[in-house]
Amino acid sequence: MEVLKINGVEKQFPAGQLPSTMAELLEQLDIKAATVAAEVDGQIVERKKFAETKLRNGQSIELVRFVGGG
Amino acid sequence: MDKLVIADKEFNSRLLVGTGKFASCEIMAEALEKSGTEIVTVALRRVDIENKNDDMLRAIDVKKYLLLPNTSGARDAEEAVRLSKLARAATGINWVKLEVTPDPYYLLPDPVETLKAAEILVKDGFIVLPYINADPVLAKKLEDAGTATVMPLASPIGSKQGLRTRAALEIIIEQANVPVIVDAGLGLPSHAAEAMEMGADAVLVNTAIATAAEPGRMATAFKLAVEAGRTAYKAGAAAAGKRASASSPLTGFLRDTQKEE
Repeated sequence: MEVLKINGVEKQFPAGQLPSTMAELLEQLDIKAATVAAEVDGQIVERKKFAETKLRNGQSIELVRFVGGG
Repeated sequence: MDKLVIADKEFNSRLLVGTGKFASCEIMAEALEKSGTEIVTVALRRVDIENKNDDMLRAIDVKKYLLLPNTSGARDAEEAVRLSKLARAATGINWVKLEVTPDPYYLLPDPVETLKAAEILVKDGFIVLPYINADPVLAKKLEDAGTATVMPLASPIGSKQGLRTRAALEIIIEQANVPVIVDAGLGLPSHAAEAMEMGADAVLVNTAIATAAEPGRMATAFKLAVEAGRTAYKAGAAAAGKRASASSPLTGFLRDTQKEE
């Protein structure tokens, strides 16, 4: 098993099936890339680099989006 | 109405509207439209992976409104800077409403951490609009640090108590060389009008519109109040006096003054 920590929760993937890039992860999670901002291990990943940002077993990922606020 | 200028960008509306607490995206969209606003605030939160509900941004036309992300939830400068950078990555623009509110009951902003975060963000190229208590000294320090505005509170966020900080707001407005946006606690259009009459450059309203029985109609009321207050300020109100001052002439009465003697 491989694992990514996404928004504080560990998500397991069968060996070899870890999404290879940020873009692939978002696609698997059914999240529109255009509406989110992402961090990998505390570092911001620009949206235009989602497709080239490689993910590795054990990384910690934050996915945020806008909600209503004052 | 004269234009509001923030960081060299011109706006026709002096009413900023927050997008929290609306019952639905449709109601929010209608209220934004009716308010005439050009700047809307949004918050940044984790995506709920298990429950990917609708993206609220679909209801906000980003060609029409400038999205102003806030750093709500930040308890210190470090968290506020992190949220600001994420917001910049999400919007592609560098405007941020800086708020650092460690106290959960009154949501009062932390002046020390706010100033610290503002200094870091300004150096990093952000257009910073800091939410602060109505503290004239802090407002000056933020201005000196290069913030685009100051946003002093009228009363605690969402409390709808109106201008409880009036005396301090007057000093901030008198001393500021950047726009003063009165934020938080404005519960009625009359509160907004009062702030504008005092010379505030703009106001930010969320709860009072979003939680009204008819948010769209209340948005219209706030729009009119802000315009009335601004126009009155520009018209130059005469000072209040203690005694009566007759509006009608004090001559030519229908009585013979000589006979009375």
